Amino acid sequence: MIDKNDIVVECKNISHWFDCRDDNKKIGNLWQGNDFRKKVLYDVNIKVLRGEIVALVGPSGCGKSTLLKAILGTHPPLQGDVIINGSISYKPSRHCGIVYQTYSLFPFLTAIENVAIGPLLDKTNTVSRTFHPFKTQEMKKTFHKRAAQLLDDLGLGNALNSYPHEMSGGMRQRTAIAQALIMEPEILLLDEPFGALDETTREECQRLLLTLYMQNEKRRNEGKTPYTILIVTHELSEAILVSDRVIALSQHWNWNNNSQDCPGATVVYDSPAPVYPPDVEKEILEFTSQKNEIKKAAFDPKYCQSRDIYNKYWKLLLNS
Amino acid sequence: MKNLFILVLIVSLTFTFGCGGSTPPPATDKPVTVQAKPVGEAQKFSLAWSEWPGWSVFGVAHELGILDGKEGKLGTIEKKYNVDIILKEMEYDPCITVYGSGQVDAVCLTNMDTLPNCLGVKSVGILPNDTSEGGDMCIVVGIKTPADLKGKTVYGLEKSVSQYMLVRNLELNNIKESEVKWVNMDPAAAATAMQQKKPGYDAIVAWNPFCLQTLATRTDSTVLFDSSTIPGEIIDMVIVKDSSLKKKGGKEFALALLDAYYQVMDRLKDPKTEDETLKLIAEKFSNLSLEDMRKVKKGTKYIYTPEEALKFFESDKIKKTMELVVDFCVSHAVVDKKPVVKFGNEKDAGDADFRFDPTYLKEIIKTRK
Amino acid sequence: MIIRKPFQEKWKPILIGLISIFLMIGLYFFMSFRQHEINPKDTTIPTITQLMKGFSKITAVSHRGQTWIGQDSKATLYRLFLGIGMSVILSLLIGLSMGCFAFLEAFLLPINALLAKLPPTAMLAVFFVLTGTDTTMFIAMIVFGLTPTISQNIYLAVKQIPMETIYKSYTLGGNSFEIVYKIIFKMVLPAIIDSIRLSIGPAMVYLIAAEMVVGDVGFGYRIRIQSRLLNMSVVYTYLAFLAFFGFFMDFLLKYIKSRLCSWQRT
Repeated sequence: MIDKNDIVVECKNISHWFDCRDDNKKIGNLWQGNDFRKKVLYDVNIKVLRGEIVALVGPSGCGKSTLLKAILGTHPPLQGDVIINGSISYKPSRHCGIVYQTYSLFPFLTAIENVAIGPLLDKTNTVSRTFHPFKTQEMKKTFHKRAAQLLDDLGLGNALNSYPHEMSGGMRQRTAIAQALIMEPEILLLDEPFGALDETTREECQRLLLTLYMQNEKRRNEGKTPYTILIVTHELSEAILVSDRVIALSQHWNWNNNSQDCPGATVVYDSPAPVYPPDVEKEILEFTSQKNEIKKAAFDPKYCQSRDIYNKYWKLLLNS
Repeated sequence: MKNLFILVLIVSLTFTFGCGGSTPPPATDKPVTVQAKPVGEAQKFSLAWSEWPGWSVFGVAHELGILDGKEGKLGTIEKKYNVDIILKEMEYDPCITVYGSGQVDAVCLTNMDTLPNCLGVKSVGILPNDTSEGGDMCIVVGIKTPADLKGKTVYGLEKSVSQYMLVRNLELNNIKESEVKWVNMDPAAAATAMQQKKPGYDAIVAWNPFCLQTLATRTDSTVLFDSSTIPGEIIDMVIVKDSSLKKKGGKEFALALLDAYYQVMDRLKDPKTEDETLKLIAEKFSNLSLEDMRKVKKGTKYIYTPEEALKFFESDKIKKTMELVVDFCVSHAVVDKKPVVKFGNEKDAGDADFRFDPTYLKEIIKTRK
Repeated sequence: MIIRKPFQEKWKPILIGLISIFLMIGLYFFMSFRQHEINPKDTTIPTITQLMKGFSKITAVSHRGQTWIGQDSKATLYRLFLGIGMSVILSLLIGLSMGCFAFLEAFLLPINALLAKLPPTAMLAVFFVLTGTDTTMFIAMIVFGLTPTISQNIYLAVKQIPMETIYKSYTLGGNSFEIVYKIIFKMVLPAIIDSIRLSIGPAMVYLIAAEMVVGDVGFGYRIRIQSRLLNMSVVYTYLAFLAFFGFFMDFLLKYIKSRLCSWQRT
């Protein structure tokens, strides 16, 4: 059985829609009759376990970002709850780290300051900073040390004092990951993190995520909390490559035997993905077959079947 | 590098052309244009005036069609003398600057403000419009006698007739100037502050229409003294550049101004047309009501006829007044250098910085008979 | 001429700038020369000797041991600094709170937009009632004139900060107050300094206009009285000083910005 404490994030019956009375455009089959609601998510249920790297994929407009925002807490769902570590999340907090495609770093801070600012904001406040300047200074030193160590681990040892605009896109994203990781969040959300990078840099960053996954074993043994990561991406290869579990959302599914009347996107695919350590060649055959499976389940408008068919993660997990 | 050369070339070209041809001086000062024009055409002259009972008369003359203030258009008198008079209405302070920089040929000023001007521009007083006999006032609240002013602060425009009026009245009351604190403030602002009952504003010196307003708005305010104690010392007049008078048509310009002024005065003197004319003047003077305008008229002693004006110009009184004013201007740093003020025509007083010249008054008396 | 093509050499733009300044000065003295040809005794466009005389006049030590320029600079700059300083503090409060909090945005934005359109120079009488005619009035005038504009600039700069940055700050454990002054303030700092730089001109206009009407010391006072007396040599020397002060303040702010905001892409 699964330990309840191992569930980091639970999305419970999440449904979401946008009010589009002002929006004249009818958007696909999501815009129904006289209903003014543009339905986005319908009854999404996801449980993420500690130490997993989950990839969230789906056709564009399926609500991946909406779900991510709901989990992050900036835009809570209209129906259902996001439960992080047992308590309902309704606003962004230190439990959820986030790395965006852009704007993740503070432009006025150097790499090391960008990483160290998290603990500083978290562990001190205005009062303590004002009345205990020496103590604050000392804490700042420790944070900087930790930040430098972390950046060094991520291969940014020689860019500690660079400002974001002086860094390359890959360096910026790695710094952003460090900035989030130093907080040791319950879950780290990555929103299309490498979408703007060139291929070589992207691969480099993907390897970094795999390294983090590899470290989880070690961390478990050392009694540290392993990293839990949810990555939203539009690239299937990336999803299969970096994650150990792929979840796909799609609006193309058969609801109530009526494919036209879709109440919103839901989870149509949830399955483990093989993990390829950074230095291991991936098995092309296995890789492509899973890719095709996801394409069929989530991306093909003509394939409109029950959502349960490819939801095999929990079955597999419970059987093992 | 090529770009730079082109730029330097353009710059130097502009500069050369700029030196050669641009910024023409005021057309009136260019003797070439005068000669180039046909003999019969009306010469252009300009007069700057600001709103004041004595000077708004020129605005009335324009309304009546005696003088057409617009360039290129002639009123009846302008036709008579064949001059084109351009009337330029502006605030009082700009009048000073505009005249000083030679932009206009004639200007309406007080005798005091004439002095700093005449040091730069040799000037001739041709027409006394009025003298202030009550139009400049010291308005007070809770102060009974001039002696009570001691130790108080008085607000008003520095180095102006306001300060002159105050200083002269203090003298008359045997109070030392240093015993009263004088603080510079725009008369309109000082009047506003007193009307708003701002603490500390117990005494102000200003001129009309601000005084009338203040007295009406603040019922507890009274006039401590006004310019009627120094009759004839504050003279509002028209002064003309000596160089403009010497130009072709200069004399006609002066005569036309005088003629127009006395034609309006005739209407003001005549009981039949008095109210109508006063209304017209009021329109050009802060849009006052007829009643208020009557009060203003009391404080402003119009000089109605050229005969009166001539007598005034040739009196001993005006000579003494000018001595007082010049002394005041020198002692209060209004002027750096003592200006030479004389009385008489060009032959007698042509070397003075400023002269009161009765020539034109005499001439107009002859033609009016 | 390719648009935005910079010069290869650094000295070129400096040289061209100097040429333009010399051209302006040259044009002035040319006009002065023409004016003195017409009237040798002219004082309205002073020649260099007249200006020198004006300069010695304003720097002459009076029996109280003071010079005109000394007294006036002290008074005007004191009012200017105090006025701009208070405007900046007030604008920061207003601009940041408008940019950050929806309630304050809804409450302050309309007033701010209205006040930004009112010229304080036309409302002297209101200031008399509100503040009297002392130093407070001059400062109030500058504050009234500048605050709506600067706070609107700050507000717009805050609005330009991407939401991602703000969400990010929350995930790093910051509370709203901390985020405002540790993140948002730092991000809009360049915009604030630029806004102050652009406000020096208007601040001077408001102050000089007020000093022309009220007061017996300061640049505005001296310029008004001396132009009435046609002492343009004094007036222009004062204007030169004003230009210098403005230029100096601009330079100072530019320097401060380069020091405080070195993180900005140049």
